[in-house]
Amino acid sequence: MNISTDPWVWVGVFLTLSIFSFLWKENGFYRFGEHLFVGVSNGWSLAFMWNNVIKPVLIDRVHMTFKTAGSEGLSWKLFDPYQDTNFLLILWGIIGCLYFTRFIPKVSWLVRIPIGIFMGYYTGLSVPAYFQGSILPQMGATVLTRNSFASTGTAAVAVLVLIGVLCTLSYFFFSKEHKGFLKGTSYIGIIFIMVGFGASFGFTVMARMSLAIGRFTFLLRDWLGLVQ
Amino acid sequence: MNLAKLLVLDRKIIFLVMALVIGIPIIVPFGLPITVTERTQKLFDVVDATPPDKAVLISTDYAPQTEPELHPMMFSLLRHCLARKIRVLVVTLYVEAGGLAEQAVETVIKEFNSRATSNADSIIYGRDIVYLGWQPPPIIPILGMGRSITDVYPVDWYKQPVPSMPVMNGINTYDDISIVVAFSGGSSPIWYVQFAQTRYGVKVGGGVTAVSVPDFYPYLESGQLSGLLAGMKGASEYEELVATVTGVPGRRKATEGMSSQSAAHLAIMAFIVFGNIGYFATKRRR
Repeated sequence: MNISTDPWVWVGVFLTLSIFSFLWKENGFYRFGEHLFVGVSNGWSLAFMWNNVIKPVLIDRVHMTFKTAGSEGLSWKLFDPYQDTNFLLILWGIIGCLYFTRFIPKVSWLVRIPIGIFMGYYTGLSVPAYFQGSILPQMGATVLTRNSFASTGTAAVAVLVLIGVLCTLSYFFFSKEHKGFLKGTSYIGIIFIMVGFGASFGFTVMARMSLAIGRFTFLLRDWLGLVQ
Repeated sequence: MNLAKLLVLDRKIIFLVMALVIGIPIIVPFGLPITVTERTQKLFDVVDATPPDKAVLISTDYAPQTEPELHPMMFSLLRHCLARKIRVLVVTLYVEAGGLAEQAVETVIKEFNSRATSNADSIIYGRDIVYLGWQPPPIIPILGMGRSITDVYPVDWYKQPVPSMPVMNGINTYDDISIVVAFSGGSSPIWYVQFAQTRYGVKVGGGVTAVSVPDFYPYLESGQLSGLLAGMKGASEYEELVATVTGVPGRRKATEGMSSQSAAHLAIMAFIVFGNIGYFATKRRR
């Protein structure tokens, strides 16, 4: 046994054990660790955003725009959105600041402007990408082609995938009562869904165990030095 | 024996058993063999086949809470690329991942340089590898790199100018990237498929947490993902490949955890079986 003398390791150990203490019951150590984690995460993100986005992308560039205007005079170039330094940045900055109007009830409706712009932009960007990158290729991969029957194994898998997709979709078809043929296919669909849930649960267990293993390795190796 | 007791087992007993089955194999591993799956082998092969005029782009998109699963993948891929003298560009789409990517890059460079005997077999930052850092927001850099990588990342993580770095010679867009490998606790491999692959045709590989693997299988089956590392198991498989094929030494964090992983899975299976025995036994009595 070779216990660590690094004070940061001891801080990590204290916080790890504080969080683990919740397994016994809710207590002050756990709440301290939880609040510290939330606070540090937010503080770090805020400082990171300030130094990497707001200051270099907005404040420094607006400052430079005013400097350029002061030395060279006003020109159309300073209103060109494709230039790094331009006065339109102030407008984008103001629109961004409208998010904070949410805290002022009388003008809180103004928050809809940045949200609308944000949603409109990302919807326009994402919908075609989702169709091109996910829906159409996935539908294509479900269709049986000559290549699907290159070997017995691939043929079996391809047919199984096709049956699984169609039966699962039929389970979610609610415009007609699940009777007769639809009852049979939706029942098969449930079986596929259950197999999917089982696989997801298995992977979830693996993921959670991996996180626990990470912490135990830290305690046993980095702190107690029981493992070389 | 009163089987009904199985249904009201104190959860603290379960936690204690789990602590033992995870902790003991870390101290005394029982070293099960690691079998490399096809999805891991595919990713390894695509990276390994990178020609000298191209680079590998690694997107480090995970936060500290998924570090045990994803960090070993990052280390293994870096070792693989640098051992093969493949140029590496590292970016991050998540704010929280900035420090983790920096740590991985610096650690692996030190590992290589501690064994190097000449300038040629050393790993030099800016010549063999560059950490381009983070740019907001996630989709914009993905799209922008299709037009110009250096326009999106004019300076690296350390604020050094990127275009003048030797590592960027001939590397301008996705056309010069053999594969983008995104390590993610979320959906970033799918973003690269949707925005970079559909528009620019770049190959995409993924390294993801086990909990999100089922979301990525359809993309692997359709061929949109060129390979996939699934959780700690996937990381240990890549570690195995890198160690056996390239012969590069280095700590194998995921492999170290696999004994505990196997023991924990057996324990969970036992709990599920006992719980069901208790349930059916009490149901019959009622």
